Amino acid sequence: MISKRYIFKRLLLLVPVLFGVATLVFSILHLSPGNPATVVAGQQASAEEIRQVEQRLGLNDPVWVQYGRFMLDAVQLNLGESWVIRKGEPVTSVLRWKFPITLELAVLGQIAGIMFGIPIGIVSAIKQDTITDHLSRVGALSGISIPIFWSGPLVILLFSVSLGWFPTSGRLTQRAYEGGAPQTTGALLVDSLLEGNIIMFIDAAWHLFLPAMVIGIYSMALISRMMRSSMLEVVRQDYIRTAHAKGQGRKITLLKHGLRNALIPVVTVIGIQFGSLLGGAVLTETVFNIRGIGMLLVDAITDGDYPIIQGTVLLFALVFTMVNLIVDLTYSYLDPRIEQ
Amino acid sequence: MSTETATPDREERGFVDRLRASPFLTELLSNRLAIFGLSLILLITVMGVGTRLAVFVGVLDFGQLLDTQFAQQQYYPPCGDATLTGWLSSLGSCQHFFGTDAQRRDVFLRTMYGAWLALKYGTVTVAASTVLGVGLGTVAAYYGGWIDNVIMRTMDVLLSFPSLLLALAVVAVFGTGLWKAVFALTLVYTPRFARVVRGAALKVLEDEYVEATVALGARDWRVIVRHVLPNSLAPITVQSTLNFGLAIIDLAALSFLGFGATAGTPSWGWMLTKGVENGLINGLWWMSFFPGLFLALTVLGFNLLGDGMRDALDPRMQDAVD
Repeated sequence: MISKRYIFKRLLLLVPVLFGVATLVFSILHLSPGNPATVVAGQQASAEEIRQVEQRLGLNDPVWVQYGRFMLDAVQLNLGESWVIRKGEPVTSVLRWKFPITLELAVLGQIAGIMFGIPIGIVSAIKQDTITDHLSRVGALSGISIPIFWSGPLVILLFSVSLGWFPTSGRLTQRAYEGGAPQTTGALLVDSLLEGNIIMFIDAAWHLFLPAMVIGIYSMALISRMMRSSMLEVVRQDYIRTAHAKGQGRKITLLKHGLRNALIPVVTVIGIQFGSLLGGAVLTETVFNIRGIGMLLVDAITDGDYPIIQGTVLLFALVFTMVNLIVDLTYSYLDPRIEQ
Repeated sequence: MSTETATPDREERGFVDRLRASPFLTELLSNRLAIFGLSLILLITVMGVGTRLAVFVGVLDFGQLLDTQFAQQQYYPPCGDATLTGWLSSLGSCQHFFGTDAQRRDVFLRTMYGAWLALKYGTVTVAASTVLGVGLGTVAAYYGGWIDNVIMRTMDVLLSFPSLLLALAVVAVFGTGLWKAVFALTLVYTPRFARVVRGAALKVLEDEYVEATVALGARDWRVIVRHVLPNSLAPITVQSTLNFGLAIIDLAALSFLGFGATAGTPSWGWMLTKGVENGLINGLWWMSFFPGLFLALTVLGFNLLGDGMRDALDPRMQDAVD
């Protein structure tokens, strides 16, 4: 069990980090050159219009006043309004509908990574130093070395263009769906199931398959590597030898006693790299033209839509920090020695 | 007894002797995958530096690499044949080995030059973040107290962003371009070095001989330079090697998203992007395939070597390096 004190301590440690993150996000706007008011008011705006925008956004106040206001607003989940991309729309509501798209992709990629990574790692460990092991190790390292923006287009060329098995981009086949798509959670697979629309579910899954695979290769590589080394570590333990000495078969010993203990560090890796999976989503979305939060950020940087940039970066940092916290807590739950 | 005699003996031996006797190097050299990685890196280095020299002495015309005088859609497939079999059969008599891009620039030459750019910007990124990270990490470990707290909490804040995201945030503030991408990535990687170095330095500082040195009146900088740094060298080297691959990939990623290299630069990331844009879907595969292949091979080389180095270290160090 994890003690309440430990959880409390970890949560307390989070406060200065989140404070720093918010400060950094605040400075994104204030360190950047140029007058934000011109971006909001538009290129052809008169001096009077720009002055009005400055007034409205409070850009003339001292920096510390603006900082205090930003912090107070951020605590209340008020991140301002979009300047360019969705002009006037609150940033939180933009993120509300964009984030599930990215999350869905990242979760599917993670599932693909776990489904392939764990078995490959186990086989690699059991057959240590054989050709199977070498191949899977080089394969795993290649998976980390091949950039998504190279493998993605190649996969599209092969499976979508040449073979025609999958669509090249997007989230659904007909634009009609996009307009009429149910908006309960924002994640298409979940929404279509909630509505009982099987055709749309299959269509969405068909579109998500390639992106999820491409993004999953990376986590598969990391998971299989960790699974292998952790399994090899466990195999050397005394209790494995004892079980083996009692006359239990090697494979049964490994899977029954070894796997359970070997999975502990793998859980950590799965959690830690979920963050980089979110980062990878930025590239994957660009390659497959999925309009999630990654593409939103890229567009916002190109257009100078600072509230959107701030909101996106803040959201990513929050999710990343939370996932890391959950990983740490899970880890100390699985292995109580960690708390000391 | 044995430790008493071994310690002064080790001190007296030269650096090369110590290196030769180190189990680390023996272990590393027996790792075939690591050797393969090292060969890949050497190959890419020779390619990159060779092409740069060729441009420098004037054998190669840099204009040929950058030339944009031709109109769009004037391209040649590799050796004049777009199919793989045709390419292989006409390898002997070949004008454009890797074909040309949409502006009729030779993809082979540009890919070779791309190796130089990748190594150049990668080296600067890794060197800068190593120096900064080592400095901050050692200072934090050595002085402890509030200095340690301020440095490491700042690092924690930087570490709470996914790396590419933080780089994008920096780009959003300071603008685009390869040097700015280098700056952004330096900021992203520094905390990792600081953390690794701080951990290693703390371990060294616990050793009794360091206490003895301090008791003998050694100054701070002497303890740091003579004892802390040399003994933290191994994890620093591993982290730098692994980060080199990451830096090259991330630099290319920033170029791919449109925030790194600018038009015309023969960087792998930019060539890849333009190649995909200019018709990968229509079967003009060579424009993006070759830069991507070399990018992946280079990164693979650094990952194989870094991985081998990590394995060759004390297994307990594996936790210290991520």
